[in-house]
Amino acid sequence: MTASAETLNPSSIAPPIEVAQRRRFWTNWLFVIPAMLFQFFWGWYPMVVAIFLSLTNAPIRGDLQWRWFENYARLVQDPLVPFAFRVTLVYAALSIALTFFIPILVAILLMEMPPKTMRIMMILWYLPLSGIASTLFWQYMYNESFGIFQWIATAVLGLEPQAFLSSERWVLFWLVVPGILMYGPGLYYMAGLQSIPKSYYEAAEIEGAGFWRKIWTISLPRLRPIIAMTLTFAIIGSLQEFTWMDLMTRGGPNGASRTVVMYMFTLLNNGRYGDATALAVMLFILIMAIVLVYRAVFKSDPDV
Amino acid sequence: MSLFPAVGRKQFRTRLSWYTVVAFLWLGVVLHLLPFYLMMVISITPASEAMSMPPKLWPSQPTLAAWRLVLNLSEVAKSVLAQPLSRYFLNSLIMTFGTMALSIPVTSLAAYAVSKLIKGRAAKNLFIFFIGTLMLPGIVSLIPSFLLTRNFPFPLPVAPHIPGTDIPFPTLRLWNTYWAVIVPAGFSAGNFLLFKGFFDGIPDSIINAARVDGGSEFNIFRRIILPMSIPVYAVVAYFQFGATWDSYLWPLVVIQDSKIAPLTVAIRSITDAFNYAGTTNPMTAFGASAQMNELLRQGLSWNGLMVLGLLQALPVFLFFIIAREYLLKGVKIQGLK
Repeated sequence: MTASAETLNPSSIAPPIEVAQRRRFWTNWLFVIPAMLFQFFWGWYPMVVAIFLSLTNAPIRGDLQWRWFENYARLVQDPLVPFAFRVTLVYAALSIALTFFIPILVAILLMEMPPKTMRIMMILWYLPLSGIASTLFWQYMYNESFGIFQWIATAVLGLEPQAFLSSERWVLFWLVVPGILMYGPGLYYMAGLQSIPKSYYEAAEIEGAGFWRKIWTISLPRLRPIIAMTLTFAIIGSLQEFTWMDLMTRGGPNGASRTVVMYMFTLLNNGRYGDATALAVMLFILIMAIVLVYRAVFKSDPDV
Repeated sequence: MSLFPAVGRKQFRTRLSWYTVVAFLWLGVVLHLLPFYLMMVISITPASEAMSMPPKLWPSQPTLAAWRLVLNLSEVAKSVLAQPLSRYFLNSLIMTFGTMALSIPVTSLAAYAVSKLIKGRAAKNLFIFFIGTLMLPGIVSLIPSFLLTRNFPFPLPVAPHIPGTDIPFPTLRLWNTYWAVIVPAGFSAGNFLLFKGFFDGIPDSIINAARVDGGSEFNIFRRIILPMSIPVYAVVAYFQFGATWDSYLWPLVVIQDSKIAPLTVAIRSITDAFNYAGTTNPMTAFGASAQMNELLRQGLSWNGLMVLGLLQALPVFLFFIIAREYLLKGVKIQGLK
């Protein structure tokens, strides 16, 4: 009797509702607190601090002093700064124009293949060559004395020997070209295309829509939220490019491919932390301005 | 299979455009595979042949000389590479797996809570707190983050003094340790978005049913949600692996000791040494050091750099092959509105 009374005692089966709710509240927060700490200390905190740090002298030793806009004034007078901004903008524009749209088209076409072919093609298309390895490969391709591009230019097309990465005028173009072969965020597009109901296309077909018409009125509008997001990342990412140039050209020739972030890295290596941070804040403002304008123009919701 | 008409597939025009699409896609596949093939071929080409025109699709005398030399580079030429190559490889692996072990649990638990456990305003605010940094250029925090690794929690070059004394505040130094790469990557906003997109697609009824059965929230996550979410974990693991394995600017800033430098940083110093010595470009072959000349004589030039490239690319490649089945199932993303 006593044993069964004990097992039926509700407190031994489940705690009272208020206790359970309180406990649930705390477990919920246990799930997020570690992430909040990381996101605070390594996400938001340094970002906000950057604005203040750019207004100080940030010396390697000695006392920290407010310098207000002295760092900015010094940077504006530095001829390398506007030049680096120009290089960055040209590179970003070229890279988005030449490399952003192809992966979208490829994803749309890949979805047309029969499932088995699609699986194989997808794996082969998206086979990753790591970024650092591809810098080595492309440096070889662009080599002026024995690279394959030089061979195509001289032996196949019969042109004069080309300068490629040593040409101040064309270096940014040649730096963008390898990106055409990279797959970009193709996986996101394919995931987005997968979720479009087949009936949309069937209805369009009955209405007499052809190949391009279906892409233009169904696939692209349905992908729009994803494209809006990947384009934002592409803008932010290409304006912050560093790795590619640093390994391919070291910013040369004559600084023709020295981006803002590369110049910032130079300042950092010279211990000019205040100046480097101020330069980063300038780039930050530029990127945010571009992104805000673009987001105002390009609505991401297809149903509006 | 929806762009081409369902009826009349055998018409000449439809067939022609179908084969054009197929040809275009296969051409792309070939162009994608070409770098892998060429890197492999150049890596087994003798040094002089690797630096001559016209380019060859197969070496006249395949040799593994470059592979042997690169793998023992630190013994042959100490000035080119301070540590054995395997050391850099191991460092990269430690940093990559360390980052994954920290960041994937932290990020996925938070994404699950924001998606399923916390409701209303709190969830909305947390969401913005977590992904807000994604929409802002991260470069602005590079220098404060670098200073944070030196004097945590002060993003300053020198830790301030305790007011009224000459003693500086005690600080934590992560700089120039593996932790400097691992800890700042503890939470990833991009992966948070992928996780949340996936968890949003899991019906609430499953979780409620488990609650009725008396599971604690953590047990529900571990026993029910986790097994359902393997695809998204595979995708995130693949992205995280690729990103950390290839990270370059950050280790360049926070790692100084060659004993703990990752492979990417080692590749930078090797290409520097090669470029300086003129091995990569005969026209600038003036400042070649004795050691570099010796390397050249032994058969190391561009073929060696391709070996390095292949070694660096291999792990990401393998990870992709392992995760491939899950890639499309794991990405459920609706964009940021």
